[in-house]
Amino acid sequence: MWFLRMLFSEPFFVVLLGGTLTASTPIILAAIGENFVESGGVLNLGLEGMMLLGAFCSFIAALLTENIYIGLLAGMGAGVILGIFFGFLVIHLRINQIVAGLGVEIFVIGLTSLLHRVLFGSEFPVVADITAKTPIPFLSTVPYINSIFNQHVVTYISWALLPIAWWVLYKTNFGLNVRAVGENPVAADAHGVNVYRTRYMTLIFEGVLAGLGGAFLSICDLAFFVFHMTQGRGFIAIAIVMLAKWNPSKLFYGAFLFGVCHSLTFGLQILGLDVPREFILMLPYVAVILLLCILARNTKLPGAFCLPYERE
Amino acid sequence: MNFKRIAGTAVGPVFAILSALIAGGILLLIIGFNPLKTYSQLFSLGVGTYLGLTESFKRMAPLLIMSAGLIIVFKAGIWNIGGNGQFLIGAIFVGGVAPLLVDRVPLFLFFIVLCILGFVGGAAWVTIPAVLKAKYQINEIIVTMMMDFVAINFSSYLVRYPLNAQPGRFPQTILIPLEKRLPNIVFTEIHIGLIVGIVVVILAHYFIKRTTLGYEFRFAGENKKAAFYAGVNIKKVIVLAMLLSGGFAGLTGAIDVLAIKGAFQAEWNPGYAFSAIPLVFLAQLNGIAVIPLAYFFSFLSIGGEFMSRAAEVPVFFVQVIEALMLIFFGVSEYLKKRSKLFCGF
Repeated sequence: MWFLRMLFSEPFFVVLLGGTLTASTPIILAAIGENFVESGGVLNLGLEGMMLLGAFCSFIAALLTENIYIGLLAGMGAGVILGIFFGFLVIHLRINQIVAGLGVEIFVIGLTSLLHRVLFGSEFPVVADITAKTPIPFLSTVPYINSIFNQHVVTYISWALLPIAWWVLYKTNFGLNVRAVGENPVAADAHGVNVYRTRYMTLIFEGVLAGLGGAFLSICDLAFFVFHMTQGRGFIAIAIVMLAKWNPSKLFYGAFLFGVCHSLTFGLQILGLDVPREFILMLPYVAVILLLCILARNTKLPGAFCLPYERE
Repeated sequence: MNFKRIAGTAVGPVFAILSALIAGGILLLIIGFNPLKTYSQLFSLGVGTYLGLTESFKRMAPLLIMSAGLIIVFKAGIWNIGGNGQFLIGAIFVGGVAPLLVDRVPLFLFFIVLCILGFVGGAAWVTIPAVLKAKYQINEIIVTMMMDFVAINFSSYLVRYPLNAQPGRFPQTILIPLEKRLPNIVFTEIHIGLIVGIVVVILAHYFIKRTTLGYEFRFAGENKKAAFYAGVNIKKVIVLAMLLSGGFAGLTGAIDVLAIKGAFQAEWNPGYAFSAIPLVFLAQLNGIAVIPLAYFFSFLSIGGEFMSRAAEVPVFFVQVIEALMLIFFGVSEYLKKRSKLFCGF
């Protein structure tokens, strides 16, 4: 009982909820992007690399300019460049998407670590004064739920994007094209949809979002960059897309669950529970596996999933 | 085996390696290093010195054993990319059990038992993704990757608490004394893990090429539907291929602990799987071709490590090169399809 009482005591609950929402933001952003890409028939396993590159580039830009928004833009730009590069590999060169994705992933882990070591040696400089949050007037003073309305502006954007992404994917012409290209690229092409261009656009869109997600991680959440700081978040985002069955409106639940597991890392320590740190740290990954077992059995994939398209 | 065919298949990997080295050189120029100097240093440290040569041959062992498992699982069309986690579990099993056995059983039996234990540890770790894939078609890429992070934390817990040799100091398991480590090959300072690696990778090669089960693996990997209608038990293929690859990853951990480390240390994660993935693709999943390429990868990584110790280019550069090789290998496959230049032999 004392545990529940602690859990729902106001200060603790507020911290936990705030931490949860902050931790889920990069996952939401990356997952929305991956949802579009996968609906278009492409699997981007390099998503983790995209986020990591976004995190690194935004960190460097923010460190140089001392402006968080330039940092965020740099992160998005890096994501877009990587998205176009990945698109070139899998759409134009028709390289096996898993091989290309793994290649990009390992490449970015190596590249960001290399550049960080070359630039800063074994130091980890911190970007000053950027973790500022944007409280919403009045709502951010309501007890218990005030931390919902005391988030970074990127977090609000990510929430707004969830319904928008659903609307674009299921209610607009562009979304229909994306899904058609993912289900049956030959038929889509015969109807005049440009398969290559549609797929490139989903990858560019993903680059923007995953880059922003990575940037959020390094300059909004933490203010510094560590080697491989995404720690599997890209793969978790891919798993969450599968759990949501390619429906962007459902992405929030998975991302929220990741956030809960992640913020429990601090939460349980505050509570003074004698659970070894390692077991709390593995929670998000175990949760993803369990959820996949329950919800993702025999999932129907998009028809042309992972298949390159060659125009005759 | 005719020469022309071998030369024809070698063009792709050679193209990939050269392109990766060139792209890496451009990267070096951009970040302010002299690429020619870096490469000559990398090669001379990796091949030119006795120490570099010995260390490179030692490094071949984990790469070869890891590759043997990856060849089998990739040939079966399954993506076990969590080799690093399976490695850690095999290694922590061995690190934890070795001190209990070390003075009680004959040395020969000690090695055999612990190698089997490492194999079982890695295979056990991959059981969950294997069963989920076989039973419910849950994507094995995601699950093996998730299991990787679980393994990192799980092994870290074991080495910090129950298996910690001296609480308070840097966490590691009880050290295996030097005279109880894997012996060296006669007249060299290279431990017999290298021989194990070569044997294992050749066995994997012949298993895939010459046995009925291996044929079923390849069949399922090339066309799952056709294999299913031809009566191949797809679920069996999935589970067996993943268990074998996980087992070999665990064996890699066992050999590294028994031969080099002597204990499982906290924060230790050499990431051999991420080197072995580019390696087996460059070898086009051919076990014989893996052997020379494993030597190439070993001296790259040893040269890279020595170079970074001399405060030159950081060790991550080698990882970048390996990833570039994987990407350029994909490009070479495309070029092969497109032009007669690559398959004109």
